[in-house]
Amino acid sequence: MDRIEQPHGTTASVLPPPRPVRWSLVRKVSLALVSILLSTLLLAGFFAYYKFESVYSSLVQSRYSFVVFTIKKRVEDNLNLGLALRQLRQVQDILEREKMRDAQVIAVEIFDARGEVLFDTDRGAIGSRVAANLVEALKGAPGQPFGATDEDALIVGLPLVNNLGKVEGGVVLRYPAVYVNYGVSGLLLELSKGILRNLVVFSILAVAGLYLLFGRVGRRLDAMERSLNTVMTNGGPAVVDRPGDAFEERFADFVAKSREAVDHIHDATQEVGRLDRLQ
Amino acid sequence: MTLDRTRPLFIRLLLLALLVLVPPVALLAHGAMDDFARGLVPEMDKKAAVVGRDLASSIERAVNYGIPLDKLHGMPEFFEPVLGANREIRYLAVTDRDGRILFISGADAALLAPFFSSADFDIAASRKALIDNFVDITQPLMFKSALIGHLHVGLDQDYVQSRVLEIGVDIGVVTLVSLLVAVEILLFVVTFNITGPIRAASTVMDRVRHGDFSATCGVTSEDEVGRFIHTFNAAIRYADGLFRRLEAYLDEVKTAHFDKTVVERVAEIESRIRFLFRFSRSSQPEVVNEHQATDIRLPLFLFVFAEEISRSFMPLYIRDLYMPVDWLPLEMAIALPIAVFMLCIAAISPAAALVSARRGSRRVFLIGLAPATIGFLMSALATNVWDFTLWRSLTAVGYALVTMACQSYIAQASRQQNRTQGLGVYVGAVLTASICGTGIGGVLAERVGFAATFMISAILAVIAGLLIHRLMEAAQPAQDAAPERRVAFLPLLRNWRFSALVLFAAIPSKIALTGFFFYLMPLSLMRSPDTDLGDIARMMMLYPIAVVILSPLASRLADRMGWKAGLVAIGGLIGGAGLVLPMVSPDSDLLGLAIVLLGVSHGLSASPQLAMIPDICWTECRNIGQTNVLAFLRLTERIGSVIGPFLAAAFIPLFDYTGAVVALGWVVLGMSTVFALLSFAFGSGPHIEAEDTE
Repeated sequence: MDRIEQPHGTTASVLPPPRPVRWSLVRKVSLALVSILLSTLLLAGFFAYYKFESVYSSLVQSRYSFVVFTIKKRVEDNLNLGLALRQLRQVQDILEREKMRDAQVIAVEIFDARGEVLFDTDRGAIGSRVAANLVEALKGAPGQPFGATDEDALIVGLPLVNNLGKVEGGVVLRYPAVYVNYGVSGLLLELSKGILRNLVVFSILAVAGLYLLFGRVGRRLDAMERSLNTVMTNGGPAVVDRPGDAFEERFADFVAKSREAVDHIHDATQEVGRLDRLQ
Repeated sequence: MTLDRTRPLFIRLLLLALLVLVPPVALLAHGAMDDFARGLVPEMDKKAAVVGRDLASSIERAVNYGIPLDKLHGMPEFFEPVLGANREIRYLAVTDRDGRILFISGADAALLAPFFSSADFDIAASRKALIDNFVDITQPLMFKSALIGHLHVGLDQDYVQSRVLEIGVDIGVVTLVSLLVAVEILLFVVTFNITGPIRAASTVMDRVRHGDFSATCGVTSEDEVGRFIHTFNAAIRYADGLFRRLEAYLDEVKTAHFDKTVVERVAEIESRIRFLFRFSRSSQPEVVNEHQATDIRLPLFLFVFAEEISRSFMPLYIRDLYMPVDWLPLEMAIALPIAVFMLCIAAISPAAALVSARRGSRRVFLIGLAPATIGFLMSALATNVWDFTLWRSLTAVGYALVTMACQSYIAQASRQQNRTQGLGVYVGAVLTASICGTGIGGVLAERVGFAATFMISAILAVIAGLLIHRLMEAAQPAQDAAPERRVAFLPLLRNWRFSALVLFAAIPSKIALTGFFFYLMPLSLMRSPDTDLGDIARMMMLYPIAVVILSPLASRLADRMGWKAGLVAIGGLIGGAGLVLPMVSPDSDLLGLAIVLLGVSHGLSASPQLAMIPDICWTECRNIGQTNVLAFLRLTERIGSVIGPFLAAAFIPLFDYTGAVVALGWVVLGMSTVFALLSFAFGSGPHIEAEDTE
């Protein structure tokens, strides 16, 4: 039998040294599970944030829509008296009063069907032209508010329609986009903290659970490997850790058969050597 | 825990996944819902204050004109548009100084009167109070600096709760989808890294136990299993190496030794060793790899997931792309890409099966991914129905190639195991992907838009390709001999049982699927103003869920009772009856029930339909092969898949959307009734009379 005696008396294995484990099962499955956990938390957070953002911004928009709606009603009441939009001087006061009521309102303006600003809480803007998309928006349903965005403002508006159904112009209210962002940023921060906290805690739990689960698998494989090594090097029966386990019993048979083959070949080699030496 | 069996390890992993995934998402959802409610309430109060202030100033103006508060006319008409435009405001009321209700809209006066009359309203400031299920924001009404009454704006407390619940439902869908994805990934991890290699080792062990040392295990992973297999193979190689040395020594003695007796003795030793043990002829032992149907499950899952993502919004996307043309009405334009997709799959699948058998599943899977990915990507960039139809056709070509490649791989890998088990792997991956894709697709499209969702499909398809490319390089099961190209299918149609099954069971089932589920369902549901894409997706998820639950039960029932035709008939009748249900009311709940019943129908009938084939086509299965007969059934039933959307489109102008569902239901029910009647004549067991007639 190939039992290699080391100089200091230990028996070296006949099998090559075991291959190092570079990517353990725990590491592989942890990576998969933690990735799934991270994706789930991010996706859940994403959906929660966007739902909140959409409900919150629509609520803010509907509040300002209501303000615009009341201005529209007052202006249209005057239009229905047969006055031209340009002539409604008291509208400037109405706009300025509405702006005064809410510090978040950047500007309220009324423009004619061609886009010329007729009344504006920023008096310097009177006579200028509004963006083309706002003029285009007047073509929509007369009772439906339209929304648009400016550089840093959100816009909500309504068309002004006379009693003949002709669109005379539009009224728009600008409010800061940062107002909505500020309103939802609290949730975003809380969600981020929640995601991070849950990710850390449950990743640790996942890794611990996987160590328990795959640690056992690794130990069993390690024991079988050692048993194979011992039997192949020193002989003797393979030790079955878990009697009744079909795989381990098959493995024990494998070890025994391997050892038997090695012994047979070894005996045969010795016998051939003995015969070879016969002259 | 047995190492070579997937289930015990997988169940433990699944429990861990449940423990790791569900509580954190629940905690996150709980926190988000609290923050959500806290964030919305101040904004709702602000809105109520704005509405109240405006209405109060209008009322005060009227009073200032000299009309007493209790004599104001047209108050309900004044309140009506405000209530209509602001769903969160449930009622508007005006009370006098003593709290007596003068006008109220939106709520029952009797419910609020006790509160208004008992509350201390003698203040000239706005205030907030909780009444029953409402938040009451009170605005004082003044006349010449004196308080004359109050305007009450009642906010619906349920409004916040229902918005909060929507977040909960969305997160619930995400959690379910994540769990299903986790199941797929963990199943893959367990089979690919542990049970697969251990089974391969078992195969080699069995050979060694019988003295055969001519094989080693082909596992090269760098984990504990890989290390074990490395040592395991080293033991075989060690024995093999000793034998090689002995063999060389024997040859040397046999050729060089002068003593014939010694040579004879040495030859005896050699034959004894060769009798007891077997080693490879060359010094390179055969490498054994364990191929399992589950190898391909994750890539298949990801690919079908990519396709199913657009399920809940496909008709809505096509509707957005439609540009009016005189000769192509909108309804037909929506049906076109859906039907062409089905047609392309039907046309390509037979060729794809042949190519897959010849070129290998891995290669065909990767080839198929190219058109599919381009199709997904270009569908996102489509500008009209025509180019969208073109890109969907390309996706269909890819879909046919990929699914056929997977079926081919599974058929080859499960040759030694159980074919039914292999089929289960395919159906399981497709249905799970269907649940996940449909559920998450609608919610995603709602947030990021249709085009971006198609881009996500393209990314998923690429990931599926990368998985196949990296992980299946060495894991190709042995190819079957390429099947014969020409098989005479037409005689199959002379078998009346087969023809009846195709015409009155398989085709109507597909008509219901593509006409109702793919086409009419999203369009009908979207007509309700309270329904969004997420709701449609959640409702449509019910179909694959019902199929997943019922399909295995139906298979077992069909096997135990042998009552396959009966199950197919009952399934068809249930599906048809479900579609007729909206006749009672066009309510979306009934449409939801119709989806569930369609799922029940297909869950009950899909497996028995296949299981019937060996019985009703006994002769044909023997002549042209059961696989070919099944392939022909699948091909012919796609006639229904193509007809379905066009039939639904034709019904819409005649009966409107709900009417079209009902009309389609009558068609399906009628055809299923014919099958049910014919099924009594089917009998049971193999039918060999067809052989006598030939």
